[in-house]
Amino acid sequence: MDVNFDLMKSAFPLLIAGAGITVEITALSVFFGMLIGIIVALVRMSDFKILRWLGNVYVDFIRGTPLLIQIFLVYFALPSIIGHRVDAFFAAISACSINSGAYVAEVFRGGIQSIDVGQMEAGRSLGMTWWQTMRYIILPQAFKRIIPPLGNEFIAMLKDSSLVSVIGFEELTRRGQLIIARTYASFEIWMAVAIIYLILTFTVARLTGLLERKFDTK
Amino acid sequence: MKERQDIIKITGLQKSFGDLHVLKGIDLYIKEKEVVVIIGPSGSGKSTLLRCINYLEEPSGGEIVFDNIPLNGEANINEVRKEVGMVFQRFNLFPHMTVMENLILAPMKVRKTSRKEAEELAMTYLKKVGLAEKANNYPDQLSGGQQQRVAIARALCMKPKAMLFDEPTSALDPEMINEVLEVMKQLAKEGMTMVVVTHEMGFAKEVGDRVLFVDGGYIVEEGTPEQVFDQPRNPRTQSFLSKIL
Repeated sequence: MDVNFDLMKSAFPLLIAGAGITVEITALSVFFGMLIGIIVALVRMSDFKILRWLGNVYVDFIRGTPLLIQIFLVYFALPSIIGHRVDAFFAAISACSINSGAYVAEVFRGGIQSIDVGQMEAGRSLGMTWWQTMRYIILPQAFKRIIPPLGNEFIAMLKDSSLVSVIGFEELTRRGQLIIARTYASFEIWMAVAIIYLILTFTVARLTGLLERKFDTK
Repeated sequence: MKERQDIIKITGLQKSFGDLHVLKGIDLYIKEKEVVVIIGPSGSGKSTLLRCINYLEEPSGGEIVFDNIPLNGEANINEVRKEVGMVFQRFNLFPHMTVMENLILAPMKVRKTSRKEAEELAMTYLKKVGLAEKANNYPDQLSGGQQQRVAIARALCMKPKAMLFDEPTSALDPEMINEVLEVMKQLAKEGMTMVVVTHEMGFAKEVGDRVLFVDGGYIVEEGTPEQVFDQPRNPRTQSFLSKIL
């Protein structure tokens, strides 16, 4: 078969703009996901039974259902409850953030629980509160250990954010679909899209590695 | 001379972990400036007893009063903990902080001391344990003995009224045990109230005002070091001492 490189080249600027939006959704979702995740992780380790139960239900529900269905729930099902339609950008960010939060909560929990219990005991025995000990002693040590799994979460979200194309949100995958609808050049465009995803995920993996080494030297 | 007060009063202390009944009724009064050494076989409950005093283990029954404050769980535990220093078997220094940061954290966050004041205080205690030149090192750059001396200095920076030592030399190489014991002896000489769980019988004899032998969840025998070591009355004490001395 003939590969039309000119077409690939001319499609790149449009696709790069879409990639920018993909990065934006991913960054926002992982950021909000981290906020949700740290709260849920702490709640799930707390003494409040009801909160702990709610945290468990949240994590189990999100991890046990497909992200695609979660996007549908926010975009199609939520409007019928709240009575007006939901903006695609809002739906994309909130579905991805809520999804990411559940995975990040597990990452945080693993990181916190990997810290020796003697650290908490030492902090508490000095008269510090549970929260002060978390804040100054446990979390700073846990953060260092969760950089690699957080990097993985970021990479997973970069790829999974392609699912928001189904609600018409114009990120990288949706841009590809639209160009193909016009040019019928599915091989060239999907290859170009794949290469851009690969560059994005590879870059994040390298950045994670650098960050890891930076924190390793204290 | 003023009569010394009982600073720690333990009555009817019980502790269970599930079905395991570790402490079965402990009564123990400790006076100000007293050095109490707790000995006993492993699994006898001696560490659990110590950890109940500052509520690292929550008692299943009985009462603990520290300096006239009855301990009442999370409600007032931080009030008591800041007055009771604790030294652990495995040091538990904060590895992401320098020695100086380890020492000033609690005074600044709990006592609301200014950084300058906290650093001066920290320097005083680092000199006392002979480690002033290590202030800017990280814990993993120190030997075990040095780490434990830093841990003692960290507890002292809270200016505690009493100190608990949970097998402070058990994780150390033999040649480092003495440097830690020397610091503890010095503290005892200066009148610190101390409760020490240890296997160092030499230390118990030399420094202890009172020795408790704990076995099977009870205080089986107590008395001066001379009484307990030289004329143990209880057969279990005799058998324990014959094995370790």
